[in-house]
This record gives sequence, structure tokens and C-alpha cells, in this order.
Amino acid sequence: MTDEPVTLTIDGKEITVPAQTLIIRAAEQLGIEIPRFCDHPFLEPAGACRQCYVEIEGQPKLATSCTVRVAPGMVVRTQETSELAREAQVANLEFLLLNHPLDCPVCDRGGECPLQDQALAFGPGESRYREAKRVYEKPIPLSPLVNLDRERCVLCARCTRFCDEISGDRFIELFERGAGERVSIAAGEDFRSPFSGNTIQICPVGALTSETYRFVARPFDLTSADGVCPHCSAGCNLRVDVRRGQVVRHLARDNAEVNDAWTCDKGRFAFRYPDDPARITTPLLRDRGLEPASFGEVLGWVADRCVGSRVAFLTGGRLLDEDYYALSKLARTVVGTNDLDHRRHEGGAVEVWAASRPMSVAYADVERAPAVLVVGLDAEQEVPILHLRLRKAARKGARITVVHPRRTRLHDVAAHVLCRPGEEASLLREAVRGAGPLASVVEELGAAGGAGVVLAGERCSSAGAEAALALARTAGARFGYVVRRANDRGALRAGVHPRLLPGGRAVDDPAGRAALAPLWGDALPSTPGRGRRAILEAAAAGELDVLFLIGIDPLTDLPDGALARRALENVPVKVVQSLELGDLEPFADAFLPAAAPVEKAGHVTTWEGRRQRVEPVRGPVGLSRPDWEILAGLAAAMGGDLGFETLDQLDAELERVLEAGLGTPDAGAVEPFVGPDPRGGEEAPTAADPGSLLLFTYPLLVDEGRLSARADELKAALQDPAFVEVHPDDAARLGLAEGAAALVTTEAGRAEVPVRLNEHLAPGTAFVPFNNPGLVAGTLLAGSFWIPAGLEPATVSRAREASA
Amino acid sequence: MTEAFPGGAIEEARAIIARYPAGRERSALMPLLYLAQSIEGYVSREALRAIAALLQITTAEVEAVASFYTMYRLHPTGTHVIGVCTNLACKLRGAVAVLEAAREATGVGSSGHGVSPDGAFTVHEEECLGVCDHAPAVQINVANHDEVTPERMRELVERLRAGEVPTPARGPAFASFREACRALAGLEPAPPTPGGGA
Amino acid sequence: MALAFERRLTRHWGDPEVVGLDGYLARGGYEGLRRAVSMTPEEIVEAVKASGLRGRGGAGFPTGMKWGFVPRDTGKPTYVVVNFDESEPGTCNNRELVEREPHRLLEGTAIAALAIGCTTAFIYVRGEYLWQALVLERAIREAYGGGFLGPRIAGSDRTVDIVVHRGAGAYICGEETALLNSLEGLRGQPRLRPPFPAVEGLYACPTVVNNVETLMNVPDIIVRGPEWFRELGTDKSPGTKMVTISGKVERPGNYEVPLGTPFRTVLEELAGGVLGGRALKAWTPGGSSTPLLTAEHVDIPLDYESLAAAGSMLGTAAIMVMDETDCIVDAAARMVRFYAVESCGKCTPCREGGWWATRVLDRLEAGFGRADDLPVVRDLGRNILFRAFCALADGTASVITSSLRHFADEYEEHVRLGRCPLGVPHLEEVAS
Repeated sequence: MTDEPVTLTIDGKEITVPAQTLIIRAAEQLGIEIPRFCDHPFLEPAGACRQCYVEIEGQPKLATSCTVRVAPGMVVRTQETSELAREAQVANLEFLLLNHPLDCPVCDRGGECPLQDQALAFGPGESRYREAKRVYEKPIPLSPLVNLDRERCVLCARCTRFCDEISGDRFIELFERGAGERVSIAAGEDFRSPFSGNTIQICPVGALTSETYRFVARPFDLTSADGVCPHCSAGCNLRVDVRRGQVVRHLARDNAEVNDAWTCDKGRFAFRYPDDPARITTPLLRDRGLEPASFGEVLGWVADRCVGSRVAFLTGGRLLDEDYYALSKLARTVVGTNDLDHRRHEGGAVEVWAASRPMSVAYADVERAPAVLVVGLDAEQEVPILHLRLRKAARKGARITVVHPRRTRLHDVAAHVLCRPGEEASLLREAVRGAGPLASVVEELGAAGGAGVVLAGERCSSAGAEAALALARTAGARFGYVVRRANDRGALRAGVHPRLLPGGRAVDDPAGRAALAPLWGDALPSTPGRGRRAILEAAAAGELDVLFLIGIDPLTDLPDGALARRALENVPVKVVQSLELGDLEPFADAFLPAAAPVEKAGHVTTWEGRRQRVEPVRGPVGLSRPDWEILAGLAAAMGGDLGFETLDQLDAELERVLEAGLGTPDAGAVEPFVGPDPRGGEEAPTAADPGSLLLFTYPLLVDEGRLSARADELKAALQDPAFVEVHPDDAARLGLAEGAAALVTTEAGRAEVPVRLNEHLAPGTAFVPFNNPGLVAGTLLAGSFWIPAGLEPATVSRAREASA
Repeated sequence: MTEAFPGGAIEEARAIIARYPAGRERSALMPLLYLAQSIEGYVSREALRAIAALLQITTAEVEAVASFYTMYRLHPTGTHVIGVCTNLACKLRGAVAVLEAAREATGVGSSGHGVSPDGAFTVHEEECLGVCDHAPAVQINVANHDEVTPERMRELVERLRAGEVPTPARGPAFASFREACRALAGLEPAPPTPGGGA
Repeated sequence: MALAFERRLTRHWGDPEVVGLDGYLARGGYEGLRRAVSMTPEEIVEAVKASGLRGRGGAGFPTGMKWGFVPRDTGKPTYVVVNFDESEPGTCNNRELVEREPHRLLEGTAIAALAIGCTTAFIYVRGEYLWQALVLERAIREAYGGGFLGPRIAGSDRTVDIVVHRGAGAYICGEETALLNSLEGLRGQPRLRPPFPAVEGLYACPTVVNNVETLMNVPDIIVRGPEWFRELGTDKSPGTKMVTISGKVERPGNYEVPLGTPFRTVLEELAGGVLGGRALKAWTPGGSSTPLLTAEHVDIPLDYESLAAAGSMLGTAAIMVMDETDCIVDAAARMVRFYAVESCGKCTPCREGGWWATRVLDRLEAGFGRADDLPVVRDLGRNILFRAFCALADGTASVITSSLRHFADEYEEHVRLGRCPLGVPHLEEVAS
């Protein structure tokens, strides 16, 4: 088998394509569309629907162009030039329509249906089929999200192949055979895959339909725009569909560099938050009882309180690059503070590394890697499309090792080394010395000759992430730092960080400040500011005058629930800039309505460091505005000037800062710029008390986060009430039983949650989801995402309290 | 799992899995379905789930396979399962009347998954059973009876109803469909005396 | 023409002792394996190549060449898989071969394993052949006891294990890639080729899939030599062929004949002529998937070339005979129904075309045919042939096309009369 490009002729036109190209793909390159149903460019060839017949000179039978690969000198005739191929396609279409119901007028796929299009284009006008059609019960739910209408199904098996090849979640299968064959699910089970919605999108007929889009719209009703998913750092390319001003659908856009043709169910189905009734679209002022006010009034009010005051900014990870840049510049050049932060986790030196690089590891590098080490990341739950890429790599033969406290959904394609949170650093250092359970992984990475990949999740301690980076360097592997939220990486790059200016330049490095001087002036604050925890502590201690909360709710989003409450109670002025007030309503003194992601143009940066353009599908609702505009307005109200009035001007400056001219620091020379972080960086505490476990938490894919507001079907499909996971050995020791309530007690708080036993959990640990219904885990935490916790059966504690 | 594979059956299931190379446990799916069928007379939902758990695959994957092959029954069967081939070689020799005789004598309706009212019989129309040289071919609990006439069919049913086990044309007889399924799972030792040939 | 030749595969038939190991050994059994262990794999492959043995499962691919395709340097195990899924309607000779002399199959399988460096072979037995699988399992136990299977076979340092795997009712599993899927615990749907099983077969490892009759020829080839093998049959298709004859004949059964024996000889000499002395109406030469022939083809020699010239195929050499009282539409409906029931469902022409054809033919036979049904049936044959993923659906097409070619009048009469002119009882009395 040679890799030489192959030249062939299709419909009389010559084309040269890479060896192994399928005829159907080569034809596409010539602009010849061969009809198809089962073929999908991101699935393995199947040859099932038989719609794509072509004639190949010298071959006695017609060939299916979706299964036959090109050969030198091949002469192919498609339906455009071969009567035989065309007749066979028409005959096949007749077969497909035999049992297909004539319910296009009530089918969600109507108007965007390949079968309908084919039938209209060259199907037989009238059916010769006189027998009764196959009848099935009309749509049956496969899950709260996906409905299956078996009468419409043409059995192309795209959906089942997706579940087999791509997600590995083999909940739906072809049952029976012959004319009785049908897509089905095991009785009493749900299609509980976080990728289920992809099967709807790739269904070439209306057999699989979305519960959220059922009878909602026709294609000609829709306005669409190219978006990027706001839910995680994967950066899935989306098409956002709006009908009469309301977002009604997200579809995945094909992008082989990022998400192939897929997105996860959260990206697809959590789209109603911009239209949530709780959204507030006018500025508000507490002075008049939290009543509407004009932007000018509120900005003026806020500006008055910021000038000459002690101001700090907290934000989340879901704004656009432009918003973060405006914030970073406002804080430094107008307010004059480094007290700003966007992080939930502190990554130490690795943050400098990530902030200073445009792109570290790309998806394509993951896919091609012969060996991958994943540390501190539950990819399926945190960055689902990365999870799919890891699975794709495994299909191509990659050896994948996951170091994590809890077995992840990669378990069928990866080896897992379960370790206590915070123990990653010592395991990785040991591996570099050629010892321990990961020693062979270092060898595999080394043998990959530069193509190996090490991915460290943001939940590693800073020491763990640094050890992962060191291991990657030792093994000559590529390194990726995997942040969770949609634009955490963009925030890092823009310097929404107490120690870093844009591009990873340190605030206390004169050269770094000097590099920015042409655009930012030469009066930048030079002492490192307060980080997230320190800001909250300062606020709680009455050491701040104004606390700015931009797209964040510190009561639920951070592992400092109790501290955040004290902070809000003790800082005089709280400014909230967001889509809504939520829990912050009792605290907010001023509210600035921000535009939703679907209403903003700009860029987001994936975990890889790839900057992607997003387009608004509609304008900001009400008086809401893009965050950068609000921040620029505040700068002006304070008598300052951010130096840009349009998005284009901002983008030009941002690109200059990030990529051009200012001298990106030599990332190879990055050294730890802080000592071990007092919380995030330390080794995990060993539980001294035998009754105590190390409790850890992270947000599962579908939780009570703000952007999942009103995604009821999604939650019904994929969300469970809060639980605490315990290893069976620990459960036996502590008297805890599956399903029974446990009382979890930490230094920060206590909660009662039902127990789940998980034999694939690091012994000595306990896991709770960060924000599932019934428990805001932040209330149990004290600044870190892990904490020693006592667990006992709730009945025992109640009995003790009753007797006491 | 204990319900679908009670007692020693779980050990038998593990022994079946061990027939196949390490890492290829899924190959044991088909004999495991026979094993489940030997216990309950059909493959129940519990059995589908139990097999899925044993092989670490999804229940849907198991059911996809179980529903593909006609010898797995996903609905309860009678004590005896009678299969009548009506494919061409047998049809030419009168198989249609044999099938009708079987349905009539057992009291099974013409529906595919029917069980006779007394619970004793399931009758199945079969595709070619590979005994075209002795058509019409019938299987009672997967044991062959050759050149069966409608009269012979009625007689066979009566004898089964009387608790007898009619001697097949070749090989051992099975007292019930469940017993035959044990053999299909590869668990029954072959009888000691050679008995090949018709 | 009177048949006179030295029988090969059936020479011990009627001798019940040969079923057991002792009887088989007493008649020279396992001599081929004893010799094979002292040969190199290449020598075994060369001997089989030189014999000209072709696969007996229907496709007729040269066996030695198939073995020669198996790569040796992949670092993966190799597998021999025996296709004992014999399910083509009208075909049952593999069944009787195994019932009567199971050790010959084990010996042939072990030699094939030696030829491709395989240590674990599988015999895929159709589930309905429960007794035959038990016969094989007993023979396997004996062979282990006698040192002909397991570690150090026949006194050598070679290991060959044989595992019996039962199917569960699916004609499609006779297709070799569907069989491999079934053996892997999957639905028996065929796989795309390439990759071919020789490169990526069972468990994605190099695999040879051989038919029972094919492998049972191998021990003699090793013992008596390729030249001896070529003494019977034709130059392109040497050896004998097992033929099954059934339906309306006096003595249905399995018979061994040299390739090229005329159908008339098999019908009259071996099978005792048409049942009750009635007239021959139609016959399938190679199972129900091969196009029907008629009384005018009675002198055709049974070999690949002659049958092809007559518009049919040798297939599995399974002859089903219909006489003057049999209805062609009824027969066609039944055969087409078989392919619809056995369609795996994977591809459109087979799944939908077979379903459509079955329903129209059933309706015709039941007396509810219409004049415009016949062009539809004719089109169905054309639109299914060579359009499906595998060859199963071609059976549907061949039944339709050949029955219309020879018996169009009979179809038209069904429509004209509104009933079966021959009064043949039809299962689908009331077509929905």
C-alpha cells in the first residue's frame, strides 16, 4: 500500500487525491454530490444504504462510492454521466420509500431532510408498492432528550455507529433483522449518553428527533449564526438557531480541527439561558430599591465609588477574549489595581506557561499521539469533545493512561491509576525517576518521539501541574493545560490574574510592564495583587471598598461558600455585571446587564489556546450590552480611556498585545513564580482521623450552573440529585450503605447526602458533585476543591443528637 | 445476576467464557444466551442484563445479538419446542400439512411466539434445517425426526403430552427445550455410545 | 452413463466403527496429520496448491492459495475457522460427512492449522446441528486423548486446540465475515472487504475460513499426494463433489460424484428418478439461490462451466427437484421468503426488496395477483441483483428472474384465474 497521491477520473474530470480516499469524498472535491444516507465523513464506511452507486469502468457490478477507495487510473461515472448508476439510485430510493410514512408535514426534519430532498429531486413520483406499510408505535422516547420514530428510519445505522465508534456509549443498537430490523434500546433503560444528541443531527431522516425542538420550527423560520459553545473550553463550533428572537436550537458545525461533527448534549440542549425569565436586561441601583436606572446613572454611581477606592474584580471563565482584555486593562490602567482574578483553581507556574502561548497541544496532536497521559481530568464530564478525541486516538492505537481519583468514562480504552487528589505531583515525580506505576508511561511517551501528549487538568494542584509539565519535558512530549470553562484560557492570556499581565508577563517584571507601556502607559501597578481567595478574605475583613462581580456568583461558583458570604456582608459596595442577579440579589448595590454569549461578537480561546471567532445571532436583549462595552463605559465614567471604541479597534490592540511586537516571553524559561500555593499547591493532607476521608469535588457536566437554566430535558436525561461516592471498603469501615444517607462534616459545613459505592474510587477519598440538586458543595469547602471530611450514617448522627 | 444464573450456573457461565482467548470474552455471548435459555426456557430481561454485566457490555448490545438469531427466544416457550421446516425441499414433500398438524394437535395458534394453553408446546415454522434428504424435517427440542407425516406429527405430540420422550432419527433426545439448550451451551456431555449416521 | 469411481469422502460410509477414534485409526486415520507435523508449513501449502483443491462452500476459491495469503510476520495469532454453518436450502452433505466420520474433519482442520501456524481453531456449527456438534465434541475429546489435538500433537512440538462454537439460527452466518462477527459475539452481519479475513479476520487477526467438505479432502491429499487427488474431476476443478438431491425424487440423499457428472445420472441412477414416475418440471442445481433449470437441462454436466453456460451455478451442488404437479409461483414465493426472513437487515435492496418481493409473490400465489404485479416482480429481480452488500440477496433475484424466464405463463395464469392453477396449498392463504 503506497501513500502516493492517486489520480483518477470522475465524470470525465481528472482529480488527484491522497491514497485511500473514498470515491464519494473525491467526487465531493470536484463538486459532484453523490446521494447518500449511511455515509458520514466522520464515521467508518458502512455500505448499508446502497444509495451512492457509481459505475467503475471495467467492473461488472455497480460499486458503492462510500466504501470503495480510489485507485490510479480509475474511471468513475456517477449518476451525472451513468444511466445505470442513476437507475440504480432511483430503484434504491423506491426501496427506501416503501415503508417510509408520508408524514413529512408533521415531521421535524421536513425541509432539511436528505430523504425528502432525494425523493423530490429524482424519486419516482408515484409508489408502485401496494402492500401495507410496516407499522410501529409512533415516537418512543429513548431518553428525555431523544425520540425515535421507527417508521421513518431507513436503517442507515449512523446513530448506532456513532455510539459504537465515537462515543462508545452503546445504548442503542440494531435489534432483530431483515425487514424487522430496527433501532432500539434495552427495555427499561435510557439513552444516557452525554453525546446522544449527535445521533439526532446525523440522522438522515426524521427518525431521531429532539424533544426540545419537537414541532418548534421549520428551517425557513430560522435565523442562524456561527457560534462557539459557551459551556466548556472544548470550543465546539455551533450553529445557533433563533426563531422570532428566541434561541430554539444548537447544532454542531463541522470542524475537523476542533469538534469534528460533534458536540455534547450540554452544548446542544442547554440553550435557553439567554431567554430565561430570571434574566435582567436593565441596569439597577440599590439606592432606589434595586429599581431600573439608566446605564449612565449606574456607571456614574459606580465610578464615583471606585475613584480612589480599594476595588477588586472577580469574574468567571465564560466571557469573550475582548471582555477579559477590557477588564484587565481597566483594572490596571484606570482603577490601578492588580486585585483581579477569574480562576477557580490556581495552577502556579503552568499558568504562565499557558498564558504566554497561543497554542500548546491541538486536538489533532491528541488524535495522532501514540501515547497520552491525562492527569487530573475527567474528560467526559469536563471537556467532552476532548474525551471524544481521546477515544479516537485510542481507536487508532494510542495507549492512554489516566491519573485521577475516580475512574473516568475512558475506562474501556485507557488504563487508570487512581490516586488521592493532590498526590499527582509525587506520582509524576516518581515516574520521572523511573519508578512507580507511571514509569512505563514515561517510556511510552519517550518512545513516541515528540508525538506523545501529556494533558494536565486544572484540578491538579499547582505542584501536580508543574510535575506534569516537567514529566512532559523529560519525555519529550507535548504538554497541554486543560482548563474547564469556555474561556478560562482567554482570561489567562488577557491577564485577568493578580500576577500576570496579558501574554503571561509578570506584573512585577519591569520588562513585562515596559513591553505594554506603548498601549497601557507606564503607571501600571507593580506589586502582585490579591487572588480569588485573598480578595474574598480582604472583603470579609473590611479591607475592600468595592467588589466587582462579573459573570460570577461566588456563593455557588467557588469553593469558598462561607467566606464568600462573609465577604458580601462586609464589603460596602457590590457591583454585579451579569445576565441575572440570582443569589446575589440581597447583596447587589448596582447591577449592569450584560449581553449573552449569543448576542456578542468576538473571540473565545479553547483549552488548546486556539482563538475562535463568534458571531451574534441576535442583538443584546433590552438594555444589555457586551461586557467590554460596559467596562469601557465605566473607564470613561471614571475619567479614563481604554483606547478603543469599537470591537475592531479592541481586536486589533488585543492581537498586537498577544501575538505581535511586544515580545512574547520565552516560555521555555518559565520557572515557578510563586512558592507552593497555601491551598491549591500543597500535597493532599493525610487524614489523621481514621473516620475521616479526603472529600473532593468538581462540577459534573450537567449541573445547576447558570447556563443550564431551563435545560429541563437535559437535566432529566443526565442529571442526578447530589450524592457522595465512597469506596466499598471505606463504606464498610464507616458503616455506610448504598443509597442510605450519610452525614458529611467538614471544617466549613455539613450536609446529608445519599451514598453511592464506587469500587473505582481511590480508597480513603469521597466524591461529591460540585453543584447537583440538593447540595452546593462550596458550602463544605474552605478554599480548595478537596478537604478532610468525616462521614457517618445519618441515622447514627440523628440518634446521637436525639440522645444528647 | 443470581436470578438469571442461580446456583452453579454462574460457575458454568465463567467456564463458558474461559473457552475463548483472554480479552475475547465477548465471544461467549452466544453460548451464554443458550445457558440462560436452559434455565428459564427463554432469554429473560434479567438474563440479558446479567449477561451484559458478566461481559461488561450494555444490555442493548446483548439484546441486539439475542434478537438477531432465531434460536434465541425472547418470550417464554412451552416445555417442548417443535420446529417444522417448510422450506422448499420439505414443502415439496408435504411440510405445510405437517406444520398445520403440529399447530392443531398442540393447540398453538398460528402466531409465532405462541405457547399452547397447557404450557407444553411452542411450535415454530423453521427455515431449512439441513435434513433435506429426509424431508419433511421436524425438530423436537432440537432433536431430529425424519420424514414426518401429519399422522406421525400428531402421534409425536400425543406421546410428548403423555410424558414420553420420542426417540429421534439420530442423536439423543432431550426431555425438554431447556435440556436441549444446555447441550447448545456446550454443557451436556455427549452420550457414550457412537450413534452417527441416519 | 454408469458411475464407477473410487469413492473418497464417502468411502467409509456405512461403517459405523469409523465414527470413533479407534475405528478411524484402524482405517488409516490421522496418517495425514502424522505426516504434516514433519512437514514445513510451506510444504503443506504447496501440496494443497498442487492438488488444485477448490473451496466446496460455493465460491470455489483455490484452498492452497487462500492459505498462502495468510501473513506470518504480523506478531498476531492466526486462526483457522471451519464453516459448518451449512444452511443453503437443499444442502445437507456436510451434516452427513461429520455424522459419519468426524475425525476426518478434525484431521483436516489440524493440518490447516499447521499450514498457517495457528494454535486455536474454531468450528462454527449451525445451532440446528445440535447432534452433529455433540458428535464433534466427542471426537475432539477422543482426539485430545489420543494426542492428535492439544499440546504436542502427533508426537510433535506443535499445539492445536479446537473449540466448537454454535450458531443460533442465521443463514447469513454462512457468509464468512458474518460468521466471524458471530464468532466474536456480534450480530451476524457481513463486514466490508477489504480487509479480507486472511489479513484481518477473527479478532482482527489473520484467519482462514474453510468449508467442511474442503477440509475433509485435505488428509488424503497429504497422504496420497496431489497427483492422486487430480485423478478425478476436471483439470480446473479436480476431485469429487458431494451432491445433495431432494424434493420429488425416489431416493433423496447425499451422493459423492466426480465433478462433471451429468444431472441425469444423479437423478436417475443415484436418486432413482422423479418420485412416482412423474415428469420433471424444474430443479435447482446448487441450492435455492442458484437459478432454476428445467427438464430441457437434464443432460447438463454438474460442473462450474457447464452450469454457468446454462445461466445457473453449481453453488453447493444441492439439487431440489420439482415435478409437474408443483407450482413454480408457490416455490418461488417460498424461496424468496427464505431470503427475506434470513436477510440480516444491513442493506436496503436485500431488506426492502426481499420484503416487497415476498409480499407480492404470496399475494399472487394466494390468488390476489394483478396484471401490473408482474412488471414489478421483474423489476425487483433486476433491482436486487448485484446491488446488495453481500450475495444473499442475489438468491432472491435469481429465484425471481429464473422462474419468470422459464415459467412466465404460470405467473400470468395465476393472475388470470385468481388462484393457483395447480391447487398447491399455500401457507399465506390470506395475504394482508
